[in-house]
Amino acid sequence: MDQQKETVLAFRGLTRRFGGVVALNEFDMELDNGQIVGLIGPNGSGKTTSFNVLTGIYSANGGTIEFLGQDITNWPAQKVYEAGVARTFQRSRLCLELSIFDNVMIGNHKRLNQGILFNIFQRKALKAQIEENYSEAHKLLKIFDPALAEKIFDPVGSLRMIDRRRIEICRALISHPRLLLLDEPSAGMTHEETRELMDDILEVREMIDGLSIILVEHEMGMIERVTDKCIVLNFGQKICEGAYRDVASDKLVQEAYLGGE
Amino acid sequence: MDVGLLGQFVVNGMMLGMMYALVAVGFTLFFGVLDVIKFSHGDVLMVGTFAGFTTYIGMTAIGIDNALLQLVGVLVISIGSMAVMGAIIARYLVLPLKSAPPLNTLLVTLMLGTVLREAIRLFYPDGSNPKHFPALLPTDSWAVGSFTLRADSAILLLAGLLVIIGVNVLINRTRLGLAIRAVAQDEETAKCMGINFKMIVLLTFALGSGVAAFAGVMNGLYYNEINFGMGLLLGVIGFSAAIVGGLGNIYGAILGGFLFAGLQTLGAVALPFSSAYKDVFAFAVVIAIIAWRPTGLIAEKTSERV
Amino acid sequence: MTQSLKDKLVILSLAVLATAFMITFLAIEEQAEIFALLVLAAVLVFASAKFGLIETISGCLSRNERLLNGAVVAATLIVAFWFYEDHFPLLMIATVLLYTVASCGLNMQFGYTGVVNFAGAAFFGIGCYTAAVLGETSVPMLMVIIVGGLVAALVGSILIIPVLRTRGHYAAVVTIAFGLLFRTFLEVNDALGGPQGLGVSGMNIFGWDFNSGITLTDDIEVSFYMNYVILALIMVMLTFVLMRRIERSWIGLNFDAVRLDETAAACYGIDIKHWKILSFTLGNFLAGTAGALYAMMLGFIAPSNFAFSDSLILVSIVLLGGMGSLWGTILAAGLVVLLPEKLQAIQEYRFLIYAVVMILILLFRPQGVLPRGLRAYIPGWRG
Repeated sequence: MDQQKETVLAFRGLTRRFGGVVALNEFDMELDNGQIVGLIGPNGSGKTTSFNVLTGIYSANGGTIEFLGQDITNWPAQKVYEAGVARTFQRSRLCLELSIFDNVMIGNHKRLNQGILFNIFQRKALKAQIEENYSEAHKLLKIFDPALAEKIFDPVGSLRMIDRRRIEICRALISHPRLLLLDEPSAGMTHEETRELMDDILEVREMIDGLSIILVEHEMGMIERVTDKCIVLNFGQKICEGAYRDVASDKLVQEAYLGGE
Repeated sequence: MDVGLLGQFVVNGMMLGMMYALVAVGFTLFFGVLDVIKFSHGDVLMVGTFAGFTTYIGMTAIGIDNALLQLVGVLVISIGSMAVMGAIIARYLVLPLKSAPPLNTLLVTLMLGTVLREAIRLFYPDGSNPKHFPALLPTDSWAVGSFTLRADSAILLLAGLLVIIGVNVLINRTRLGLAIRAVAQDEETAKCMGINFKMIVLLTFALGSGVAAFAGVMNGLYYNEINFGMGLLLGVIGFSAAIVGGLGNIYGAILGGFLFAGLQTLGAVALPFSSAYKDVFAFAVVIAIIAWRPTGLIAEKTSERV
Repeated sequence: MTQSLKDKLVILSLAVLATAFMITFLAIEEQAEIFALLVLAAVLVFASAKFGLIETISGCLSRNERLLNGAVVAATLIVAFWFYEDHFPLLMIATVLLYTVASCGLNMQFGYTGVVNFAGAAFFGIGCYTAAVLGETSVPMLMVIIVGGLVAALVGSILIIPVLRTRGHYAAVVTIAFGLLFRTFLEVNDALGGPQGLGVSGMNIFGWDFNSGITLTDDIEVSFYMNYVILALIMVMLTFVLMRRIERSWIGLNFDAVRLDETAAACYGIDIKHWKILSFTLGNFLAGTAGALYAMMLGFIAPSNFAFSDSLILVSIVLLGGMGSLWGTILAAGLVVLLPEKLQAIQEYRFLIYAVVMILILLFRPQGVLPRGLRAYIPGWRG
């Protein structure tokens, strides 16, 4: 990327405890504009916890989170989203009985007019807004899968896993976030599907100016292929940071994965 | 206030607290194993009391009129039949809805409560009128100053206490209790460890319902009157008590039960305007406590996986 | 014949059929005849389901929403005017309409946003008591309906904190406790008439007294209940439009998101508290307005009208019709109110029968009789 280097996100000494368990311990990291960072580590090492603390689902017990120059530590989830952070969930959290369009629009919350009087009385303006957002959602879905875009008014519950993942990512991307958090997008999919999905994400990244991504993933092929740098967590602590190649050959990392010591 | 009257309030409050705690323990047990609310619990209690009452009539009719024998018969039939009914409810109404939204179980059992209540009102002989429940316990009394303690009250309190302790020992000290706690902790792991999940659920429902039937008979013996609607209020109070204490926690249920009875008693004794407001007062405080401690006084440990 | 013409014919003939059915149903008294009519209706419904007719019809209906809405209003008016001089059928129709409004309120809370409320009868009752108290004052009676709704919403706001801070079972017990508290309060409170209840003045708009019959000519005297039927029908129409517009807007989407997954909704900026408060308050408002007019119509109210079992009836209407389904609510309100009134054999057993039916519904058809479909923001629009 030739854009000027700008820190999008910075964790400083981020700590989160659950009772006696330290899920995140003095975690420091920085993410630059347009970067893709892979967050790896064994199960329970604090990857998802860091997402949850960042997005305001859990509060931090210590440390700070800075996003685009603002201190957003312990902001409620809603404000974090408004600021430009969108995420997906490890276990897909879509509304299965709603249509694809509805689900994508949930992600577009901050760009829709939520006024009560507007929604009830200004039906014409609302209609225009619906149509405008429809074409945008349609366009976005089409990048992932043209067939999916044609099924935009079908309930999500009727779709395959890969389609649900795609919709979840569209839901996150529709509001043009500055930071996208992907929590194990490959879970429940084949290698081929994962590769396809990641290509689509990369394609969308070109369209959204300065989108940074943090990717939590077990699928090392994917990490190797798309990330600019990797951070390895173990027992809530950062044990290594660097390019995938360097990280993969690190002794500590291998021990963490093999359970050595 | 005169000591005798105060003593009377205390005994009455303890009696109510004991009954509420017994009902609340059931709610908390069911919630523990299945994360569901069985709202028909209060009405199961009522049906159990009627079963006991019918047993008494039957025994009198065939000439058994020894009060002790009658008491044993009433308790055995009432507790036994409700244990079976609890298991049947679990098997055919609660377990089939296991994967449905938890609210559906609440609704189904709420409706079942109505079915039980209406069935007794409509089909039990003269069911819409209150019945006189016999005094099967000795009614001697001891006077301490201006306060009289009746033997039947003392026996009921003691028996209630023993049942609560018994349930506690069963849950915390026996293999069955261990299995119940294991299922409550983590259903999947419990299954892997070879615990028969379904059987444990049925046994838990049988246990809770049996305890409720005991509370119902206790209620009948204390007030000497039973009616088809008695279970609704007892059920709601037991449910509130379990919630206020913290669902899934036996001590919380006991605490909640006595707390509710304490509030009612306090409302009856201390409210300046009228003691008729005691239930209004008790429910208002319950709502306030829930607003203050949304997961109960002894909070259940929940952490949603995200 | 074009598709649209065919559709219109289908809807019109259905409307005629439904009108004829309702008139017959309300007119006949003989229990065997009523029973036979109900069996006939059930057979017709099952047969059309069997031969796929239901799908054709529902396609037809969804393509012609305006015509459908108009046909239903016209049918209701025709049925009402058919019985212009009979008190009882008109009272029944007005009751169904007001229960529909109250159930819509509950549906907004429960069906749309997933906020449980087992004290529906209490909020309905608050509207009733407001009407009783204000009936003695000089407040215009049409205003009283609005005020009834506002008072219900205001009293409901006491529950907002506990309801917002809790979920599921905990919120359920808050409303159940409130319902019991409300009724006990009315029973022990002498200022509001105690267990004996209160009389309520009738509706009066600019001197037009609702409680006196309308004499058109010497032979034609219209029952005074007709006034209430018309006003209740207007309330249903307004409620219906409000519910529809909310459902088909971003508000409805927010409500659904809150109901289906609070965590995900919060991560996408949806303010859970804001939308829960809106839906809870609007729902209680609707129940209160319905209660206010109901009290004026009956002229008398007592605490026993607002028992826990009455709250359960409202919940039953929502469940039977289908959570969030508007037409379902209307149909279910009709069934739940009319069947026990017409079939005296089941009158005594009605609570038992409702409860059994609800258990069967929850076990075998949890989506209700007329399940809510996917959101169609703009009718007939597919992008």
